[in-house]
Amino acid sequence: MNWIQVLLIAAVVTLLVYLLRSRTNAKAKAWVKLGYVLFVIAAVYAILRPDDTTVVANWLGVDRGTDLLFYALVIAFVFTTLSTYLRFKELELRYARLARAIALDGARTPKD
Amino acid sequence: MGIDTSSVWIIVPAFNEAQVIGDVIADLRSVFARVVCVDDGSRDDTADVALRAGAHVVSHPVNLGQGAAIQTGVEYARRQPGAAVFATFDADGQHRLKDVVSMMERLSRGDVDIVIGTRFTGSTINQTPPLKRLILRAAASLSPSSRRLGLTDAHNGLRVFGRSVADELNLTMSGMSHASEFIALIDENHWRVAEEPVEILYTDYSLSKGQPLLNGVNIVFDGFLRGRMRR
Repeated sequence: MNWIQVLLIAAVVTLLVYLLRSRTNAKAKAWVKLGYVLFVIAAVYAILRPDDTTVVANWLGVDRGTDLLFYALVIAFVFTTLSTYLRFKELELRYARLARAIALDGARTPKD
Repeated sequence: MGIDTSSVWIIVPAFNEAQVIGDVIADLRSVFARVVCVDDGSRDDTADVALRAGAHVVSHPVNLGQGAAIQTGVEYARRQPGAAVFATFDADGQHRLKDVVSMMERLSRGDVDIVIGTRFTGSTINQTPPLKRLILRAAASLSPSSRRLGLTDAHNGLRVFGRSVADELNLTMSGMSHASEFIALIDENHWRVAEEPVEILYTDYSLSKGQPLLNGVNIVFDGFLRGRMRR
């Protein structure tokens, strides 16, 4: 086994443990956790047998497994960016409502 | 004028407008007794100047953007006893009081829920700087809601509306995208809308405070994503 394989497997397993330990919002996160377990299994497999990704790539009409992983990464990145953007917008809205409640509480009326 | 001004609330969102806000509010108060200035987290003394000029003042603890300020102003005004007619009015002095009055007269005819100012009909067309005119017209014709409603100027800060609109209004776009959001809300809630020609006074001050035209890109982008958000 190469050192890089050891490091990569350690990294994904650490992430898995970290994710499985977080307990926020049980229901919504459960699917994410299941998905992540599948991802880790696939990742460990791909790390141990990198040439097999090329076989899958060929099925899909891509030359190298590396390219396939790269395409998947780009899609994942775009998805993450968009969902982060929407999440931020949502937080901004909550933040605006909080600030609005404070502002309305402290309204000042003119003397006359 | 056939309008009971005691039921009218003018909403003035303001961010760092201490230089001009006093005059704008004094001018408004010569006709309308009830003015609420929403100080959007200004770093200067906008709030104090507005209060001294006789406005009610609601201060955001942090800067949120004009859309949020308008929503705050409407929420303040609609809980005041007797409030029936509401108007939004920019703080930088680019609107004319007599335009608000004529828009209120239009609203009082009772066949519409909201009246929006437009720079692009009537006799005032040519006062808008050419590039700005081109982009604003493009914005109006690109927006499906504007087109469907037959509106020519989606980004005019002057709006006059009645109780039904004020009660239902829920602007979620805090920044400058609220103008297109306002139009989309009119469309979604089936508010009856009319346009009234108004004049915009492009002073050096108001031009320097105005949004850069490039901001149109942000507005279009926010419009696309609006539907994706939970509210």
